[in-house]
Amino acid sequence: MSTFRIEEADRPHVIRLAILWVILSVIGVIAVLQIQIPPGDETVQGADQTRTLSLMTAMATPVFIGVVMMIIYSAIYFRRKGRELVDGPPMLGNAPVQVVWITVSTIMVLFLAFVGITELATNSSAQTVPGQSSGTAAAGGSEMQVQVIAQQWYFTYRYADYSGVETTHLYLPVDRPVELHVTSLDIIHSFWAYQLGVKADANPGVDNVFHVTPQKLGSFQVRCAELCGIWHGEMADSQGQVVSQSDFDSWIAQQQQDYAAIQKVVPSYAPFYFPLPLTKGS
Amino acid sequence: MVRRLSFTAAGVVIVIILVIAFVGLFMLRRPGTLEGTPTTIHLETVAAVGAANEWPRPDDPHPDWVGYLPTTILRVPANSTINMQIDQEDGATGLRNPFWGKVFGTEGGNMHMTYFDDKGNPQEGDMTSIDPTQAAHTFAIPDLGVFVPLLGVNSNAPAGSTNVITFSFKTKGPGIYHWQCFVPCAAKTVFGNGGPMQTLGYMAGELIVS
Repeated sequence: MSTFRIEEADRPHVIRLAILWVILSVIGVIAVLQIQIPPGDETVQGADQTRTLSLMTAMATPVFIGVVMMIIYSAIYFRRKGRELVDGPPMLGNAPVQVVWITVSTIMVLFLAFVGITELATNSSAQTVPGQSSGTAAAGGSEMQVQVIAQQWYFTYRYADYSGVETTHLYLPVDRPVELHVTSLDIIHSFWAYQLGVKADANPGVDNVFHVTPQKLGSFQVRCAELCGIWHGEMADSQGQVVSQSDFDSWIAQQQQDYAAIQKVVPSYAPFYFPLPLTKGS
Repeated sequence: MVRRLSFTAAGVVIVIILVIAFVGLFMLRRPGTLEGTPTTIHLETVAAVGAANEWPRPDDPHPDWVGYLPTTILRVPANSTINMQIDQEDGATGLRNPFWGKVFGTEGGNMHMTYFDDKGNPQEGDMTSIDPTQAAHTFAIPDLGVFVPLLGVNSNAPAGSTNVITFSFKTKGPGIYHWQCFVPCAAKTVFGNGGPMQTLGYMAGELIVS
């Protein structure tokens, strides 16, 4: 193994690059940390995602700056002069440099993988529950169950803990863990409430479970993230709300009152539904 | 060689022009606009646009498609009360989501309907919901929170009968609001949501608020 040695002539370049890299990296990381990376902190899960994305972006910034800086620096200082076509000096491998480079890269990638997997395995855990037929929803647990039902071209919501009342907007109480059950009545949709940090496929016959805990009062948007027909672009709702528990209680009571008119003919709350006919006239 | 290249280049240019023309014509093709007088809209829903009672379109490229007539592009004033009358001539298909059997977002939270009961006798009344299995169509403007189910004509009603549904709703500020049917009423398409459900001028429409 050859020893790591810097040629005398290269030292000014190395020192210059190192100083420049440190300064630009510090500036870059500080700048990156000022960016409000979505989804934000409206939910515990969203805050975790934002934190993870910020960490990953901050770690990637010095690498990005180093690569771009080397390219620009080389293009300026090591530019071929004159019109004569001459091969550059032969470049042989430098084992110490390669060892450092591979080791540092491996440590960074493994660290980021550990952070990402840990994040996925804890706060933003999702669970898909394919089933065979409609049945009753799993009851109990401290989380409030809310079912998201996609259909061309609107989302409706059923609250299992409130006699399965169905609503046209999604209201969630603050500081209360929620278990979202996402399904579809027709084709594939995708429930995307990015401020909540949730993006879940809505597939017919599938109960796609996501967990979310709102921690800030405010509104959020819901939209479909799966191309689903002529009004896909309109399959959105900006009236999602995170409200206080007392406001939620008032709202859900009103919804239950309104729902009474149709409750008898709406099927019981189930993980998913298979309404018929699949083809009109078939 | 030059001649062959010229023919090839000319062919490519012609194909490109044809493709652009086809796409352009497709995108420019829109149904006409119905302007309220000034806040009243009268529509008709039929099982086949070629065989409607009031505004038949026998020359339509899809005369057997279900549709709203005379058009699905509606222009109405902003921040106004719109009085709707829908003459519903189609039979029941049923809702995929029974929840839409309830009336939402209308003035008074209800609709007025003349219809025919199971014995074929004419009936009339204000309603806040209908049996979801007996829905023929819905008139829904999701961004305005307006969802109105339209009862299918009873099979025991006299031939050519029409259910007349009237209701009012308020518009918001200027903008283009899509409206749609939640009944999967496109016959012989998967989930009943193909063809006319995906095409402006049949079961898909725009409410232009200006």
